[in-house]
Amino acid sequence: MDKLASLLHTSPAIAWMVAKLVIVFAGVFSLAAVWTWVERRGSAMIQDRIGPNRAALFGKIKIIGLAQPLADGIKFFFKEDLVPHDANKGLFWLAPFLALVPALMGFAVIPFGRSFVSGGQEYHLALLDPGNGMGLLYPLAIGGMAVYGVLVAAWSSNNKWSILGGMRSSAAMVSYEIGMSLAVVALFMRAGGYDPSEIITAQGGTLWKVLPNWNIFHQPLGFIVFFTCMFAETNRLPFDFAEGESEIVAGFNTEYGSMKFSLLALSEYCHLMTASALMATLYFGGWQVPFVQDPSVMLSVLSFLVKMLFFAWVFVWIRWTLPRFRYDQLMHLGWKAMLPMSMVNLVFHAWRMSQGH
Amino acid sequence: MFITFALITLLGALGMLLQKNVVVAGLCMVAAFFGVAGLFVLLANPVAAALQIIVYTGAIMVLVLFVIMMLNSHEEEAGAARPVQRWLSLALIAVLAFAAVKLVLASAGLNALAVKGAEMPQAMTLQKVGTTLFADHLLGFEVAGLVLLAAMIGAVALTKRNL
Repeated sequence: MDKLASLLHTSPAIAWMVAKLVIVFAGVFSLAAVWTWVERRGSAMIQDRIGPNRAALFGKIKIIGLAQPLADGIKFFFKEDLVPHDANKGLFWLAPFLALVPALMGFAVIPFGRSFVSGGQEYHLALLDPGNGMGLLYPLAIGGMAVYGVLVAAWSSNNKWSILGGMRSSAAMVSYEIGMSLAVVALFMRAGGYDPSEIITAQGGTLWKVLPNWNIFHQPLGFIVFFTCMFAETNRLPFDFAEGESEIVAGFNTEYGSMKFSLLALSEYCHLMTASALMATLYFGGWQVPFVQDPSVMLSVLSFLVKMLFFAWVFVWIRWTLPRFRYDQLMHLGWKAMLPMSMVNLVFHAWRMSQGH
Repeated sequence: MFITFALITLLGALGMLLQKNVVVAGLCMVAAFFGVAGLFVLLANPVAAALQIIVYTGAIMVLVLFVIMMLNSHEEEAGAARPVQRWLSLALIAVLAFAAVKLVLASAGLNALAVKGAEMPQAMTLQKVGTTLFADHLLGFEVAGLVLLAAMIGAVALTKRNL
């Protein structure tokens, strides 16, 4: 890193910052693109089909259809870019970006490996260094911004199906946010801090010598709430009320085509990646490796990636297993089950902490 | 950085006032609050910035939803304001702006800054906010809680006449 920085006439800190930016954004973006393929193959596997396996690089190299996202991208670029006649043109253009930018930004605070020291300089494997003061409030704030992409896309299309989808999903996202935040607050209390690095450090070691000291074993109820809320926040089945193909055509993105649609679709997968990374960080020890005291940097990154991709797969798995909820069932679940459960979780852990001290 | 965030805030606020379309005005309001959050970060108070975004995006979201549901937002608002109102509001804004600038310029903190010079402030953390709330401002905190509870009960009583 020092040599590279001196070659580019910058300090190692700045070179590292740029490198991190590229790693995080390009990484999340390309993982999201690959996950469109994983979803299609996964759905095919679950439904006993074959799925996309024909796309080939230069007409020869097939690698089980892994070139499919590339082909899709090229196709999207060459499709006609249509704007409906009565749409609000400015907002119609703005909406895909409003959806994509928060989806990509959410990942910035998550540490994807342990920090290391090289040449007297400490390098952190997270875009925002620990101790930035925002901590885990940042993904919550950015998650709140994500609603606007869906709602603006829905409203600006001037289409009845779109507006129905947008209204349903924004109401769902707003109501599930409360339960999610309360579940996260219980984690802050356990770790004694709200920085992701503090929360990960608090999850090192073992519990009763047989289990890794992860938050899921301390707060299983909190995890259930958080897990459910993540499905509502990412608009994935069983809660995909923004799209609801069998009810409202394609919901908020009915009027979108070509690259604008592709951005909306990609932003959903970016959300999925961020949500999986959050679950891995908050409840499964982030980069901690079970039963290993001080994992090496590479091992810690690998451990984080395995956990994150596992949860990303769970999202796919559940999408093709469970049917869609009804809208009133979703609201009942959010307000009458998730919110009380996360309140009970919070009060119980507060009580236990007050007994412990 | 300051200029960028200040411009975002001011343009957002202006856009909110001048936009005839209510939904667009709501989005301009979000932009203004986003700019204010950026200013909070520059003031070494990331907690306030995060809370600003969490609280206000949710709140404006609900506002925009209500606008879409209750008003026919495709019709643009008609009817010009009376000239008296316009002049009165301009005068009020001038007085407010003058008083605010005067207050800031006369504040003790600014004088101290001129004497001692700027020093790097300690970044605000959630822990500090918590201790300040429960140690120094306990009464205010409890009163705010009571007011919010009353508002909640009021909302339920208004919407559900026969429980």
